[in-house]
Amino acid sequence: MLPSRSKLSVAVFLLPPLLLYGAAVLLPIAQSLFLSFFTWDGISELRFAGLSNYAFMFTEGDFWTAVTNQLGYLVVCLVLQLGGGLVVASLLISLTRGRELVKVLYLLPAVISTVAIALLFQRIYSMDPAGPLNQFLGLVGLDGLERPWLSDVHTVLTAVSAPEGWRFVGLYTVIIYAALLTVPRELEEAARLDGANQWQVFTRIRFPYIRPVWLTTSIMAVTYAMRGFDIPYLLTNGGPGQSSELVTTYMYKTAFLSTDYGYASAMSVFIVVESLVAVGLIVLVLRRKAV
Amino acid sequence: MPTLMSTPPLPGLSRERHTSPSAPNAVRRRPNVYRVLSRVLIAVLVVVQVYPLVWLFLSSVRTEQDFASANPFSLPTSFTLDHFARAFDHADLGRYILNSLIVTLGADALIVVCGLMGAYAIQVLGFRFSNAVRAMFLLGIVVPVQIALVPLFIDYAKVGLLDTYPSMMIPLAGFGLPMSLYLFSSFFGYIPRETYEAASLDGAGPYRIFARITLPLSVNTIVTVVMVNSIFIWNDFVFANTFVLSEGLKTIPVGLQNYIGAMGKTDWTATFAGVCVTVTPLLLVFLVLNKAMIYGLESGATKG
Repeated sequence: MLPSRSKLSVAVFLLPPLLLYGAAVLLPIAQSLFLSFFTWDGISELRFAGLSNYAFMFTEGDFWTAVTNQLGYLVVCLVLQLGGGLVVASLLISLTRGRELVKVLYLLPAVISTVAIALLFQRIYSMDPAGPLNQFLGLVGLDGLERPWLSDVHTVLTAVSAPEGWRFVGLYTVIIYAALLTVPRELEEAARLDGANQWQVFTRIRFPYIRPVWLTTSIMAVTYAMRGFDIPYLLTNGGPGQSSELVTTYMYKTAFLSTDYGYASAMSVFIVVESLVAVGLIVLVLRRKAV
Repeated sequence: MPTLMSTPPLPGLSRERHTSPSAPNAVRRRPNVYRVLSRVLIAVLVVVQVYPLVWLFLSSVRTEQDFASANPFSLPTSFTLDHFARAFDHADLGRYILNSLIVTLGADALIVVCGLMGAYAIQVLGFRFSNAVRAMFLLGIVVPVQIALVPLFIDYAKVGLLDTYPSMMIPLAGFGLPMSLYLFSSFFGYIPRETYEAASLDGAGPYRIFARITLPLSVNTIVTVVMVNSIFIWNDFVFANTFVLSEGLKTIPVGLQNYIGAMGKTDWTATFAGVCVTVTPLLLVFLVLNKAMIYGLESGATKG
């Protein structure tokens, strides 16, 4: 604490960030909570609805389809981002030259906007005319797998999730790589002298050592996937049918196409609660193992 | 929260020394097979990450026939800039870029000013409930932006902010603030107490100390914060798509949507040319300043 501070100076410095944060984050959270107990189309009178929005939400089939899809989206993102990131970061460690360049190249997709990525993948996945993915499958003799990835109900969810995973592989690689560099060489040396192989060095030394970073990257990846919206919305808008509908896209449509603000708010409250629960679970699991 | 790196945030300085000694150890015991295999994998992944973008740029300069007939893994046999001309005809790309620039600079300014001030109040000045306030801000890191869409839409409609630059800047800055505040306050933690105490003894008050000591020392962190946030703000789709209706205020991500459907049958080569134009500015900034950006992305997570 600064000895010469006054109450007034604290207030002066704290007020602008509080105002911004309050207006953009805190107030909307409170308003969403409030609205979720009402029925409102934005024009007519607010009607108190009690818990009926929530009751409807938990019994509606469309909503649960969206929840299941969001979980699928989450799994694809996590496998690509955390799994991929860990593998690639471990490979990078063994590289003697050009690490910085490789890092930059891996990160390139993270700089591109989701709209550009959506346009790009719309073409990559296309069947008629054949896009790069289908042409590649043809070239390597896997013609049987060629399909319109975005209109086939069996592949569409994976197809809309993969670009999001792909986009941030580099980000997680770079973060995990930075963490792996902090593992003391002596520890690994000592383990090797005791006869540990590459795999054991990884599971017993490196991974436990980077657990704190693993915690933050997991939280990042999971909460980003929970709010994943842009690419599925732009590529398929939830279709065909409901096969790639996420909670976020469903909520967006409910709010801005059906203008059912009450129900949409209930869903956005659900998304926040879901994220907080997920973060809580991650902390619980990873912290406990650390002890 | 556990802190892994104990060096202050000076981009690109801290970790070079760790890098080189590691490799020989990893390689000595697993000779060539492991080594070759990992090189090959790294190369394959570079192709997977970069090829779609290369293809994007190549497609934007080859002729329509070449694009339609050739396989996507061949080099273009033709070169044309027509698609760029058509891309500029279809949409007001210059306008979109200008709008994106305005929104990015505005939101960045808000984030930096508010982040610095908040971190200074919490970390340096200190007050009775500072830990509670810090926790409240940190919570914002995990709150999904979707929660703000409906309420802000309603609020903006009430106060006449719908379809303006601030309608995008406010939520972008608000949701970017928690991470920046966190980065600033962890940096402030490295400034020795004695510096402040000495300044106080010399009669400097909190405002003077902020302007003369804290601010000048924070330049590197400000650069990092601006870099990291700019990527997300420049590319924001959801707020711009929700709050902006008029053509003249559209940012790049929303403007690019004009290419979908607007031309009936999508004019792919012109679309790709448009996409190329819009991704290039940030790509160039990233390639030039990648050290600072990568540092920011890393420290955001490793300091957690």
